[in-house]
Amino acid sequence: MSDLWEVLIRHFPEFRSGFLVTVQLVAVSFVIAITVGMLVGALRVTPVRWVRFLGGLYVEFFRNIPLLVLLFIAYLGLRRAGIEIGPWVAGTASLGLYTAAYVAETVRSGVFAVGKGQIEAGLSLGFSYRRVLSHIVIPQAVRSVIPPLGSLLIAMIKNSAIIGAALALADDLLKQARLINARTFQTNEVFFWAAAGYLILTVTATFAVRFLERRLIVRR
Amino acid sequence: MMTAKRDRRWLVVFACVFTLTAAACGDDAEPTDGGEAPEFPAGSTMAELQEAGEIAIGVKFDVPPFGFVNPQTDEVEGFDVDLGRAIADELGVEPNFIEAISDNRIPFLQDGTADLILSTMTITTDRDAEIDFSIPYYIAEGRVLVPADSDITSVDTLAGRTVCTATGSTYEANLTQNAPDAELRLVDSYSECLELVQTGAVDAVSTDDVILTGMIIQDDTLQLVGEGYTVEPYGAGIVEGDAEFKEFVDGVISDFISDGRWASTYENWIGQYTGESADPPTMTLEEALELRPCEETC
Repeated sequence: MSDLWEVLIRHFPEFRSGFLVTVQLVAVSFVIAITVGMLVGALRVTPVRWVRFLGGLYVEFFRNIPLLVLLFIAYLGLRRAGIEIGPWVAGTASLGLYTAAYVAETVRSGVFAVGKGQIEAGLSLGFSYRRVLSHIVIPQAVRSVIPPLGSLLIAMIKNSAIIGAALALADDLLKQARLINARTFQTNEVFFWAAAGYLILTVTATFAVRFLERRLIVRR
Repeated sequence: MMTAKRDRRWLVVFACVFTLTAAACGDDAEPTDGGEAPEFPAGSTMAELQEAGEIAIGVKFDVPPFGFVNPQTDEVEGFDVDLGRAIADELGVEPNFIEAISDNRIPFLQDGTADLILSTMTITTDRDAEIDFSIPYYIAEGRVLVPADSDITSVDTLAGRTVCTATGSTYEANLTQNAPDAELRLVDSYSECLELVQTGAVDAVSTDDVILTGMIIQDDTLQLVGEGYTVEPYGAGIVEGDAEFKEFVDGVISDFISDGRWASTYENWIGQYTGESADPPTMTLEEALELRPCEETC
């Protein structure tokens, strides 16, 4: 028991720096994932067929490549092709674009969850297509995508560990834990604290999502 | 820790029961293949390994010429592998080579995944607190590897540059000491360092000369620069406190060195590529440990 606390106290600066790097990785990647994901999701629900196809292409590409492989392509592949991409950009872009594919699918299912009958009713009452979207579809879709987006955020927090593991792209929480472990050999204690660090992030994310859900809830 | 001890106890019970049964069956039940293998006291690691019929040896899979997978045969080969075979032969058991990277080799020994580690592991006092070491079986030195067009000429000119080496290797400390202003990139395996230096993602790789030589064999646009700046005596890793097994492994290594097998293995894996010759190590374990006094855990 005393070993456990001793490891944390002795290596607190490394743990803290790793934790902060993970937070930054997740924050930057999540912004990319949400922005790109919404855009691609919008492409997926347009009435224009070839635009839908473009969106589908994006989703299938990024959803069918393992994240680790994507990181290798984004970093070593591009560098071999002569593009001087940095580890941080390669890492966050990969995680962000990868997660965006899932966000796009979530957005699509959220829009489809709004009954077709409501859209038709809106149109027949004389609303323009744009106003049907902004007044009827989007408000309802947003509510129904919050819980699955929360799951994606949690998955992304955990996936961020792959960035540190692949080619040492970032000294994140897991990487720092492994470095401390390599020096101290206190494997159980070190990885206990790494797990605790990830738990802090995922539990925070869970509560944040629940808070949002409660704010947006519609009493039916 | 508790479970590991309990497992060990079960093994001992199992070995005793098995020995009793074997004795009751009489001499004609003796297997024929292990004819020359010596007998060891019941309960010793050697006897247990003979009982199991195989020894799990952790080696590198991506570090030519010490432990690497030959793409033509899919078999793992190298200096460490040959030494591992010599130890398995002495026991009369089959060697089962498993991949042990710098980061996981000590945990592998501690949790029983590997019975022995031969994985280009430098003897250090910190590591000696966790596991036991055999006598040194190879002496490597730390060098710097760079692309052909690099302006880095030695470890002293690494300031401000990025240098790749493996997590859990001695080079994290070596480089912090010898090139304090270099930026370290600590990856899992040396094959990743090779990738990174080839793509220009890092400016140099620094580790043992033999490992770097292996990279040059794979890509001859890379080159070694500067003199050796550290001495790295390799030892076999043995479970902490297993004195009998350590004595046995030390004996095999001494024989390997004195009967000429060391020299032919050296020529086969290293000498023919570097054109250099070397004498087998005469360093003792104590001398090796003095080179790396305690830094962190002991």
